[in-house]
Amino acid sequence: MVAFDPQLLWNGVVVGSLIALAALGLTLLFGLLNFINIAYGEYLAWGAYIALGAKWADVPFILAIVLGAIGAGLIAVITDRIVFKQFSDRDPVVLLVVSIGVAFMLRNLIRVVYGGSTHFYNVGGEAPVVFGIRVLPAQVIIVTLSIVILAIVFLILNETRIGIAMRAASDDTDLARIRGIDTKRLVIYVSLIGGVIAGIAGVMLGIDSNINPTMGFLFLIPIFAAVILGGIGDPVGAVVGGYALGIGQNLSIIFIPSEYTPAFALLILIIGLLTRPSGLFGEATR
Amino acid sequence: MGLVSLQLLVLVANIAGIYSILAIGMNMHWGDTGLLNFAHAGFFAIGAYTSAILTTPASDSGLLANRIIGFDFPIAVGMITATVLAGVAGVLIGATSVRLDGDYLAIVTLAGAEILRLGISNEGWLTSGQQTLKNIPRPLEGALPSMLPYGFYYFLLVLAVLIACYLTFRYLAKSPFGRVLHAIREDEDVPKALGRNTMQFKLKSFGLGAAVAGLAGSLWAHFIFALQPTMFTPDLTFSVWAAVIIGGAGSYLGAITGMTVITLIRQVTRFIPSDVPLGSKLPYIRLIIIGALLVLILYYRPEGLLGNKERALAGMEEN
Repeated sequence: MVAFDPQLLWNGVVVGSLIALAALGLTLLFGLLNFINIAYGEYLAWGAYIALGAKWADVPFILAIVLGAIGAGLIAVITDRIVFKQFSDRDPVVLLVVSIGVAFMLRNLIRVVYGGSTHFYNVGGEAPVVFGIRVLPAQVIIVTLSIVILAIVFLILNETRIGIAMRAASDDTDLARIRGIDTKRLVIYVSLIGGVIAGIAGVMLGIDSNINPTMGFLFLIPIFAAVILGGIGDPVGAVVGGYALGIGQNLSIIFIPSEYTPAFALLILIIGLLTRPSGLFGEATR
Repeated sequence: MGLVSLQLLVLVANIAGIYSILAIGMNMHWGDTGLLNFAHAGFFAIGAYTSAILTTPASDSGLLANRIIGFDFPIAVGMITATVLAGVAGVLIGATSVRLDGDYLAIVTLAGAEILRLGISNEGWLTSGQQTLKNIPRPLEGALPSMLPYGFYYFLLVLAVLIACYLTFRYLAKSPFGRVLHAIREDEDVPKALGRNTMQFKLKSFGLGAAVAGLAGSLWAHFIFALQPTMFTPDLTFSVWAAVIIGGAGSYLGAITGMTVITLIRQVTRFIPSDVPLGSKLPYIRLIIIGALLVLILYYRPEGLLGNKERALAGMEEN
């Protein structure tokens, strides 16, 4: 337990950027596919590892991030085509269990390909102190990248035909289909966008802490908390929920021992589910 | 058969037996009641740590943690308390969340189990934390004829508990209580309309399944002799899940069969020398196989190996 420090607020914004981005990807996937995809954490981890592999091959880091994002997007599309699509007429609970099997496969494939140990990107550099806050270059990358990606995604959602179709199908898949939207092809786009977002979030998570095979899986709980806080399937809610959770989690150190900060997400999750199951802004898909 | 391979064999048999007891609890939750419990490793941990703390003396100081709680009670006290405490924990977690929709319950229970593991890792005064909780007593150790490995005798105990649990839970599933659980699984509104307090039935199901997981945890602690928080990761919960689904949800014999299959896949690498090609990757490859098996069974045989076809189809007609 510590006294209030603006440093905590800044750290919270950094973690919030990570959670917000990851939560946006998950909520987009959920909006169209309507099941809880446990393998989403593995998309994050694969993004981080592909970027790591590219960095090992002396690819410039910016390009490595792009490769990680594209790689994670392709993995999301491929798993959807090969596995989840085959179960599309089944109960969401069956799909949830299927996604556990997929997560097992993807996570251990990481261990087979890259080994089980922990790695770092080593994005170093000077850490200037601004207004009494130590600002790491890596943190600036995370926050900036997150804002840029969020802006691009919301531009796609609001301004392009695909984005509008995505939102329509997320609201009511049958109605969208009647209006002539090819929802089957839409699933591919959404999987790709969701996977790309997950990949970038994974690289950012790796920059912030480290890269290991369970990084994505362990990050699922705050992501789910943010998604549920924002109302499942609501993109704006997911982003707001993500930042709120990141900042709240860091400020919680003032009240609870720092070993227990991960418990904060759970607490928010439980309170959120029991009091406002439809999310902060009320309008929920279920 | 050499003594070494016999020892390995009884080790795997014990693991399969203890995990099968876990699977019985999970089958009550998912197979009978349709509750998505993702906290099973947590209940297992509560049982294991309760029993260990109750049956060891307090002075267990070490580099990382200094455990100041310990009671040195007889093993039977540990086992009974472990079962009861895990059951109470099940009811408490259930009380916050069984009324949530299926997949929400999954997320809350998963998070709950992770928080519990966080607590076990950090509260060294109680659990020894990251440092192993060691020297847990084994029943009758040293008093048994030494021509067979100790694990063989322990397996007899595990087997007796497993059979007792199997018979009890199968009886419960066929009793009027079980029929209400099945009705809740199919459509909760029907038993509700018939005046049943479904909330209470769900809580009982949650508590019973958690209690049996606690009993399994206690058996684990006294067999494995030393406990670490890393033994209770969600991977364990997911393995039990995979076992129940592969065996056939709703069938207790199926749960045991499924768990035995999973344990064999997970432990088979103990019997393969590590200098074969890909040897160092085998532990990961076997987990990939479990994942693939889970997906394939759900696709080709949703009712599982020994499950009931009607049960598997019931959830699919309406969404």
